Amino acid sequence: MRRWAPLLALFALTCRASDRAATGGGGPAHRIVSLAPSITELLFALGAGSQVVGRTVYCLYPPAARAVPSVGDGLNPSVEAVAARHPDLVVLYRSPQTETAARQLEALGIHTMMLRHDRLEDVARTAQLLGQATGHAAAGDSIARTLDSLLSPPVPAPQARIAFVVWDAPPIVIGGGSFLDELAARAGAANVFHDLTAPSATVAIETIASRDPDWIAVVRDSAGAPPPGWAARSEWRTIRAVREGRFLNLPPDLFGQPSPRAPEAVRLLHRMLSQ
Amino acid sequence: MRWLGLVLALLAATLAAIVLGPASVPAGELLHSPIFWELRLPRALLGLLVGGSLGVAGASLQSLVRNPLADPFLLGLSGGAGLGAVSAIALHLGGAWTLPLAAFAGALLALGLVFRLGLVAGSVLDPRVLLLGGVAVGAFCGAVTTAIVTLAEASELRNAFLWLWGGLSGASWQTVTLMAVYVPVPLVVLLAAARPLDLLTLGEEPARHLGADVLATRRRVYLAASLLTAAAVAVTGVIGFVGLIVPHLGRALFGGRHRVLLPASFLAGGILLVLADTLARTAVAPRELPVGIVTALVGVPLFVLLLRRWTAD
Repeated sequence: MRRWAPLLALFALTCRASDRAATGGGGPAHRIVSLAPSITELLFALGAGSQVVGRTVYCLYPPAARAVPSVGDGLNPSVEAVAARHPDLVVLYRSPQTETAARQLEALGIHTMMLRHDRLEDVARTAQLLGQATGHAAAGDSIARTLDSLLSPPVPAPQARIAFVVWDAPPIVIGGGSFLDELAARAGAANVFHDLTAPSATVAIETIASRDPDWIAVVRDSAGAPPPGWAARSEWRTIRAVREGRFLNLPPDLFGQPSPRAPEAVRLLHRMLSQ
Repeated sequence: MRWLGLVLALLAATLAAIVLGPASVPAGELLHSPIFWELRLPRALLGLLVGGSLGVAGASLQSLVRNPLADPFLLGLSGGAGLGAVSAIALHLGGAWTLPLAAFAGALLALGLVFRLGLVAGSVLDPRVLLLGGVAVGAFCGAVTTAIVTLAEASELRNAFLWLWGGLSGASWQTVTLMAVYVPVPLVVLLAAARPLDLLTLGEEPARHLGADVLATRRRVYLAASLLTAAAVAVTGVIGFVGLIVPHLGRALFGGRHRVLLPASFLAGGILLVLADTLARTAVAPRELPVGIVTALVGVPLFVLLLRRWTAD
């Protein structure tokens, strides 16, 4: 907990700034541009989908979001393209890259919210903040309660050991800083790279082999698909789970971003693990 | 004596690469472990071949363009390889060999363009035109690559950039065999050009008077060194500093005669890359550093020491 204290403090600061932004316009926002896929999903889940007037090219879930005009990239946004949608609120993923864009938007008189949710508990808080800002406070509280009830019980004892491999050359795995690590823990699997505090990290194939996971999880379409191409290569076959073909294909729209559908993701992963 | 030192260093580096690693394998079981046969051994051998190729390519190119700053990637090859790799990913061309093949094709394309530029307006592979052409083609390829990454929606493109930063994590017996079959041909071509390269370092006119066929030498050395670099970038991405620093180390230790300098650069390049890769795998384990960062961290202090010795002399 102490480790997260500085982050939580930062988050609280962001929240205060956001509250001001949300109330400063007087009443809920009606024209919202979302600059992160996870925020777009959350807005639609809150019932604020009809208030979303702009999204990034990467915001593809829910399918209804695709009908919203795209304003381009979210991490390096085109302030002009965003402003052209005449929003009264722009929600950005908080990072050093987006801070300049947020300042420029504020200078144009457009309210901004800077949010960062990398972990599931962040999604619960973000849901409440966005709920208040968009006039869907009850829906926000309801999403937060659902996520809290997923996260509050003690973590179940792990039944299996799992490694998330997101790329093969160089090998990149998911670490303890990612929501995928939390999803795995809740589904009864221990991420063998939980000790890496970053969301993801480059490791050697040898390291994966020595951690000896029971399953290799990959985020890709089609659950019944054969293992990824790299699984046939001899250097990857030093990993027991690869040799035994124990792959979990996780659908990207459910596992690609921290989402209010986390309970559904946990149930699906749990089912896959028990097969 | 110096050769003995170099060979001993090579053995020590290879031994370290084989024995050290994030997985703890007892020394007695090492020879029976797939970690040794499928991961560490091919990786060490690939490091030797790629490091050696970059060292030799760097030494020959520095003499060819008579510029101590020349590096195998200066002539636009890394830009071309990156463009090839990113195009393959953007076009959703799958398969384990697609990325290296596309990178190789991209490097060859850049090589062809620069070579053609070098022959423009009757200039006979003028080193200045080659350098400028290389920088221009590299920058152009870089711009197109960035445009593709910006416009395409494939999230894998970010990872293609990581691949381009270089590393030996893709080492396997296939890549080792590929390099072992391919590398000797340009190496022999370069060794055969050792004498005319010695003459070329004196200047174009003196070289011609002493009987060197300047244009033929330039053409052969440029193509052989570029083909070596293209193969290296195809299997490991862009690994910097080896091709820049190793030739200078070689010259300081073995003098400037290419019959000695080229083999010495091959060995020294291999040693530097294998050592750097062992550090990259173990220093921050379980994480792994991009090997290009380590080659710079190890190579630059060595380089500075050498510079001090030179200036002291």
